Amino acid sequence: MGETIASTEMHEYFDELEARLKEAIKIANAARARGGDPKPVVEIPLAKDLADRVENLIGVEGVAAKIRVLEEKMSREECALEIGRQVAEGEVGNFTTKKDAVEAAIRVSMAVITEGVVAAPIEGINKVELGKNDDGSEYIRIFYSGPIRSAGGTAQALSVLVGDYVRRGIGIDRYKPRPEEVERYVEEVVLYKRVASLQYMPSEDEIRLIVKNCPVCIDGDPTEEAEVEGHRDLERIGTNRIRGGMCLVLAEGLALKAPKVKKHVNKLHMDGWDWLDILIGGTKTGGDEEDEQKNKIKPKDKYIRDLIAGRPVFSHPSRPGGFRLRYGRSRNTSFAAAGINPATMVLLDDFVTNGTQLKVERPGKAAAMSAVDSIEGPTVRLHSGDLVRVDDIKEAYELRSQVEVIVDIGEILINYGDFLENNHPLMPSPYVFEWWHYDYEAACSEKIPEDELKDPSSALALRLAEEYDVPLHPKFTYLWHDINRTEFEALRKFVAERGNFSVEDGILRLPLKACMENGVKLVLEKLLVLHRVKADTILIKEALPFILCLGLDCHLKEKAQIPDTDDMVNAAALLSGFKVLPRAPSRIGARMGRPEKANLRKMSPAAQVLFPIGNAGGLTRNLAVASNYSASMNGKIGEIEVEMGIRECPACGKETYFWRCDCGEYTRPKLFCLRCKIEVRNSETCPKCGRKLTSVANVKLDFHSIYKQAFENVGEREKTDLIKGVKRLMNGQMTPEPLEKGILRAKHDVYIFKDGTVRYDMSDIPLTHIRADEIGITAAKLQELGYVEDVYGNPLERDDQVVCLKVQDLVISYDGGEYMLRTAQYVDDLLVKYYGVEPYYNAKTIQDLVGVLLIGLAPHTSAGVLGRLIGFTRASVGYAHPFFHASKRRNCDGDEDCIMLLMDGILNFSRAYLPEKRGGKMDAPLVLTTRIDPKEVDKEAHNIDVPARYPLEFYRATQEIKNPTELEGIMDLVSSRLGTPEQYEHFMFTHDTSDIAAGPLNSSYKTLGSMIEKMEAQLSLANKIRAVDAPDVAERVLKSHFLPDLLGNLRAFSRQRMRCIKCGEKFRRPPLTGACPKCGGNVILTVHEGAVRKYLEISKEIGERYGVSSYTQQRIELLDKDICSLFENHRVKQLGLSDFMSGSAR
Amino acid sequence: MEKKDIIRTVMEKEYQISPEAVELIYSSNSPEDLLKYVLSTVNASVIVISIEDIDLEGFDAFSAGESHSDKIHASSTEERKILSGTSILSSRSDNPSSEPDSFLVPDPLSEPVLSSEPDVITTASDPSIKLSQDDVPDSSVQGIVLDKAYEPDPDIPDASNIQDIPDASNTPNTPNTLNTQSITVLSDEALASDLASDSFSSVKTTTPTFSFHPSLDANRPVSSFFGQENSLSSIPSNRSFRTEPSSSTSERGIFSSSIDEYKHYPGKNPVTVVSDITGHSTCVGEYMQFVQYFRDRYSRLSEIIRSRINARPIESLKRRSFRRGGDGGSEEISIIGMVSDINSTTNGHKILSLEDPTGSFSVLIRNSDKELFELASKILLDEVIGVTGSITNDGSLMIATKLIQPDVPNNVQRRTGSHGKAILISDVHVGSSQFMEDAWLDFLDFLKGESDSEDMRELAASVRYLVVAGDIVDGIGIYPDQELELDILDVYDQYRKAAEYFREIPEHIRVIISPGNHDAVRQAEPQPALPESIQAYFSENIVFVGNPAFLELDGVRLLIYHGRSIDDLVASVPGVSYQEPAGAVLEMLKRRHLAPTYGSRVSISPEKKDYFIIDPVPDIIHTGHVHTLGVQHYKNVLLVNSGTWQGQTEFQKRVNLVPVPARVPIVDLENFDVKILPFD
Repeated sequence: MGETIASTEMHEYFDELEARLKEAIKIANAARARGGDPKPVVEIPLAKDLADRVENLIGVEGVAAKIRVLEEKMSREECALEIGRQVAEGEVGNFTTKKDAVEAAIRVSMAVITEGVVAAPIEGINKVELGKNDDGSEYIRIFYSGPIRSAGGTAQALSVLVGDYVRRGIGIDRYKPRPEEVERYVEEVVLYKRVASLQYMPSEDEIRLIVKNCPVCIDGDPTEEAEVEGHRDLERIGTNRIRGGMCLVLAEGLALKAPKVKKHVNKLHMDGWDWLDILIGGTKTGGDEEDEQKNKIKPKDKYIRDLIAGRPVFSHPSRPGGFRLRYGRSRNTSFAAAGINPATMVLLDDFVTNGTQLKVERPGKAAAMSAVDSIEGPTVRLHSGDLVRVDDIKEAYELRSQVEVIVDIGEILINYGDFLENNHPLMPSPYVFEWWHYDYEAACSEKIPEDELKDPSSALALRLAEEYDVPLHPKFTYLWHDINRTEFEALRKFVAERGNFSVEDGILRLPLKACMENGVKLVLEKLLVLHRVKADTILIKEALPFILCLGLDCHLKEKAQIPDTDDMVNAAALLSGFKVLPRAPSRIGARMGRPEKANLRKMSPAAQVLFPIGNAGGLTRNLAVASNYSASMNGKIGEIEVEMGIRECPACGKETYFWRCDCGEYTRPKLFCLRCKIEVRNSETCPKCGRKLTSVANVKLDFHSIYKQAFENVGEREKTDLIKGVKRLMNGQMTPEPLEKGILRAKHDVYIFKDGTVRYDMSDIPLTHIRADEIGITAAKLQELGYVEDVYGNPLERDDQVVCLKVQDLVISYDGGEYMLRTAQYVDDLLVKYYGVEPYYNAKTIQDLVGVLLIGLAPHTSAGVLGRLIGFTRASVGYAHPFFHASKRRNCDGDEDCIMLLMDGILNFSRAYLPEKRGGKMDAPLVLTTRIDPKEVDKEAHNIDVPARYPLEFYRATQEIKNPTELEGIMDLVSSRLGTPEQYEHFMFTHDTSDIAAGPLNSSYKTLGSMIEKMEAQLSLANKIRAVDAPDVAERVLKSHFLPDLLGNLRAFSRQRMRCIKCGEKFRRPPLTGACPKCGGNVILTVHEGAVRKYLEISKEIGERYGVSSYTQQRIELLDKDICSLFENHRVKQLGLSDFMSGSAR
Repeated sequence: MEKKDIIRTVMEKEYQISPEAVELIYSSNSPEDLLKYVLSTVNASVIVISIEDIDLEGFDAFSAGESHSDKIHASSTEERKILSGTSILSSRSDNPSSEPDSFLVPDPLSEPVLSSEPDVITTASDPSIKLSQDDVPDSSVQGIVLDKAYEPDPDIPDASNIQDIPDASNTPNTPNTLNTQSITVLSDEALASDLASDSFSSVKTTTPTFSFHPSLDANRPVSSFFGQENSLSSIPSNRSFRTEPSSSTSERGIFSSSIDEYKHYPGKNPVTVVSDITGHSTCVGEYMQFVQYFRDRYSRLSEIIRSRINARPIESLKRRSFRRGGDGGSEEISIIGMVSDINSTTNGHKILSLEDPTGSFSVLIRNSDKELFELASKILLDEVIGVTGSITNDGSLMIATKLIQPDVPNNVQRRTGSHGKAILISDVHVGSSQFMEDAWLDFLDFLKGESDSEDMRELAASVRYLVVAGDIVDGIGIYPDQELELDILDVYDQYRKAAEYFREIPEHIRVIISPGNHDAVRQAEPQPALPESIQAYFSENIVFVGNPAFLELDGVRLLIYHGRSIDDLVASVPGVSYQEPAGAVLEMLKRRHLAPTYGSRVSISPEKKDYFIIDPVPDIIHTGHVHTLGVQHYKNVLLVNSGTWQGQTEFQKRVNLVPVPARVPIVDLENFDVKILPFD
């Protein structure tokens, strides 16, 4: 892959990181060499580049070298296809059967496409098999499984193409489906959409087209419980259940990404894929994209279709009063994160804060929120009648209790790159200061201070408009497009007749009562003409531009007739004689998605050590309890029966469960064949029957002594009262962790994940620039970390200078810092007391952690990324450079992922702990990326724009609703910097923010208690926001959340499973004996009446209060009756319910 | 009496018991008596009997009081009562006024019971009951009550043994048998609640001390009508007689499930409701009710099988193998169990886990035994089967040689029918945009005798009954986005429209309507009849019944079931398809159960009695739900799945289901021949 292209400074940065990584690995290797772990060396291989990662992930030797060669001359996708062909044809790797070669080829190709990061190539394809066509020829069946989802649509689709590409090379025929198989696919995909969900649902004809023509059989393992009803028991389809992986590949892969597949088909000149044209042609007709090309952006309601109770709607689709689009990028937005004013966060009842995910109308599906205080906040009407805009968070807190209506929820900052990434036509930009500034520069040579330009007096605005013909400043541009002609006329007439304008103070006075009576106040609110109410009079400051736009003079005399137009922006322009532009032509609807997250990772149930204790530790899996457990009255204390992998010492032949014998020798697993009952050495399969060998056996463990010994080993006093183990190990050879680790983890109160590492989860938020004072450190510290100059090239001296963030540096929440501190102390204890070496971190406060190395790892992926901790934030998020997020294949639309301490990872991680089941290898650091090469991160990051201001052409282009790709050339994008040192440095932003973490600490979704409380808050907010239709919210919540919940629980009650409260055994139906046949314990229901009734009352109440449709009300009524009929004794009821209740009360 | 006997006795009474309580009873002077006392006094709402539920003082008082009573008399009475369900039934109807003169137990016949609304009987007006309800019963009062309510029988030590004593007595009863019966050592739950007299049960519910079964069945006028019928025969409830119900089916009007009072609609075309949940649902959503529900299923279905094989309790297999040692004989033995799990071994054999109230056992069916294996592959979860086979040497497994389903016995004779015709329809789906109104109106015209052809007019005149097996309207909220496929969005308007249609049906036709999953009643089955508010839209002579419902139409026995379980049967029984729905009904009949598998597509309400059991064998089983038509005869039972009046829906298109709309099966009630009348 060649050398990293970067400046000397960046090279120093990378080298420093790598040097410290090597040093850490050296320490870890020395520690592990003492034999306290499954392997005596660090088990996370380092990968410098993509080629390394692919080879490490798939394990086909020689692939990395080939990829490096291929990457030189071709694109990633081409390279993927080519390397696939080479593997299939045997040029690379060594496979005994055709099938194995094809399988490896497809996996390698997919790994290349997905940058060798996600687990999809290993976990998403279960197997590849060869099937027989009816004409006797062979075809390829690719068995996809659930984790294929993590690959993304393009990679999924291309994996099919790879399958076709490689089969040609080795002479396998295409798949010729039988008609009933085609119909089966149709039924199955439709059903999948219902039980799970699909981003894109192809039409039935599209599914038929794909299945009939796709040269590879897209097959899969059953993933859902649901079964098809019509096309069952087909000979060549092994299951009647839904194959989720297949559905994903077919719908979100081939159907949705047909154009991309087509592109590669053309490049490779492959035949047999012409049908893609029909697919592409078919899907494009009638879509709303075409309409939008015709200069019209239509409201989209998709984001509010599935409303969830407690997650409020902030604006209905494209409705006046909703978010006003503002183009630009702040240092904490872009990459699917949008900015809003922190005052908006507060006035939206704290539902939104940094990291909260919003489902948005456009450009993408979702966006994480960041505080940007340089854009406008919400405009609210107070109980006093005042209409004020709140841009300042302090003011927001002061006014919150006085807010009557949120007339407008303020601006939302979205960068051009997000439109480009989503291929969404550019919506018309409002007339904003940035644009006005271009117009001003072009027309006026006067030097006016920037501050004054940003917030001009009405006199200055008018002077510039009159003298230089600069369009009216945005500050005095009202939302004329939001009112109609009648309203305009009424307003003008009212101001002319009843208004009182004083030229001296520039205040227009209107009588409040009359304003209210004939609706003029509402019109003023719609226009966002800010005003105060005093002594029954409405006062509008700096009102002259407004008066002029109404076509009145300063004596409020009508100057001219209202022109004959329905476009009120135009009318205002003609009447005033100024250029007036639309102030808010693009509104963006939004609702709350997920709350932000910053919390330690715990398994469920939580564990501190992977040591099995069965039921001996009680429900809390407490090792301390297990150590005193006795199976019977006179059983031996602390003797427990668990499954363990048995090992033996090659030197003295002693059996043990640990990696090292008392004699000091390393032990090895004692393998035997369960069936043939023979012991086998030096083989993985049974020589007699060929089955897989195992070392697992049920053993009686003298846990009491092991427990005591472990405490002695680490020199801790046995005072800990809770150390959480696990019930049973999940890994193949039942390898336990050393108990000592659990003791030390319990001491420091840290928890582990399935692979033995300690993790902290946080919502991803991008950050490209930092100030020392907002991340809890000093400029001096920053300098220590290698930062030398600020964003303007000045030497770094003060804490408040803005500097460009280095790509592998992270800012985490304070809570995360505390947890990492405890982890560091645990690691140090471990090094000293368990491994007997020097401590590594020596950290006393979180400040001591600044500069330590971390591993970032996203869910569904298997590649960690090396990072460095440089600071802390109050927000419950993890800030990192967008490249860092992209290297984990995350964007920032509300996803979360985790960090762990490097030393913890390399000391404690072992593949031996990973569960042996589908998805077991996901979410584990199978490799570690040491250096971020922007070329090798998720391509989405290449679409980030990094200029200090957008060009004027951009604003003009948005007016024509141009496609964003047309502007790629003039925007300063990351993609244009690739391959130069600039790819790492000198990024800029268009809108600054004074505090990246401003806003509420936590979303009120997290702080409110019950679902019903959240729901109440959601509806009360809906009532307050002008852009939200509260009855519609109520109806949608009922329909998409409460009613399905009621129905589902009602159904679940009548089909429920039972559970033993003593041993936890589950029963499909109650045992006839009534009690648990295993342990004799009491069996109870898993679904109770309470669970069924949970939302009934609130549903009824909301239905009535908000007057939802009678259809929905009737549904609630019927459900109510259904529930009563089921849970009330029809005989006793006639005696009176109360009689019955007293009788049955227990 | 050993501890485990205590536990078993308690279990049999459908309670559970805490170990401490067992200990307490076991250590008492007379564990048997104490146990009986506890069981008779424990609050029915208690699930687990704990120490708190054992009233030692009360027991002492009771024992003291007991000594005053005439033991010999009591015991002989007791024996008679227990052993002869018949006689009790007879006595109940024959001597209706011979009630005890207890001051606590109100005379069931004096005023309230004779009212047509039996369940409204309240005893609250009786101050003495108030007293006993509110206060902790003082021992003297209780002693007196129990003296009447409980008559200990020294000859019968354990409740479970009683069943095995042969039916001995026909002697008419002493007056107070009725009350005492239900509370004493009866092990047969159905019989018990059957016998629990109206008056008594009302006392029970208001007096916690006495609560036993909350069933309050007391429709005296109707039940006495049938009581007389019962008394004509010598056959009591099915569970106390051992012969195959076929013998009972030869008797007119004798129904095993005589728990419920019957409703009778007299007239030229009479209808008698024999079994129907309507008004009798007792589910309140407790775990024990689920257990009871399955126990009832097991006990009733196993009785049917028991007449054909000599089965032993599963628990005994374990003990046996224990004792066996080395002899290793391969003697054949039989068990009857409810299937709790079905697995395949790696070698392709099948393993069924069978469960009875004493334990569970695994049964292996070898794939080499083709016939047996094929039968086994049709076995469903939760059906009750008998298995004959031998136990393996280690005592862990039974190798099956024979599987027995309850099925209809071969000797069921063709019963003489009635006269005239019955029309069976279902799935009308009024309100759906796919409702085929034109065809439906043609059908109504036919019923009105307005057909063009003379033959059809004659045929119409001979129609006596029209039976609708559910889904009369399309309903609302049944599936997502249903509103997009509805013509009538208001569910009540749907029923009003349906009522309008049914009003056109001439009076000489008796209409019977049973609900389905689209109707506005609870979804959990058994479903009660449509609510009265909806019934009010319809003409008065329409009979509304629940789902399922067992009816007698002028002597012809008809079992109506909407057919939700057909979805399950199609999914799990090889060879059963939507195209031939009668095949699914046949599978139900072989299992003598309308919805064998729990937890799948059928939502159930755990009732005291398993309403899905097909017993006795009806003349006709009428189902619907799947919108296809099927007619089949099986061992003199007519199986009909009627089609629909709804065209193909979007959903059906997707799952490739082609409905058969507007085809009407018409049954000749004399010989059970079926004709299909097309109206499309």
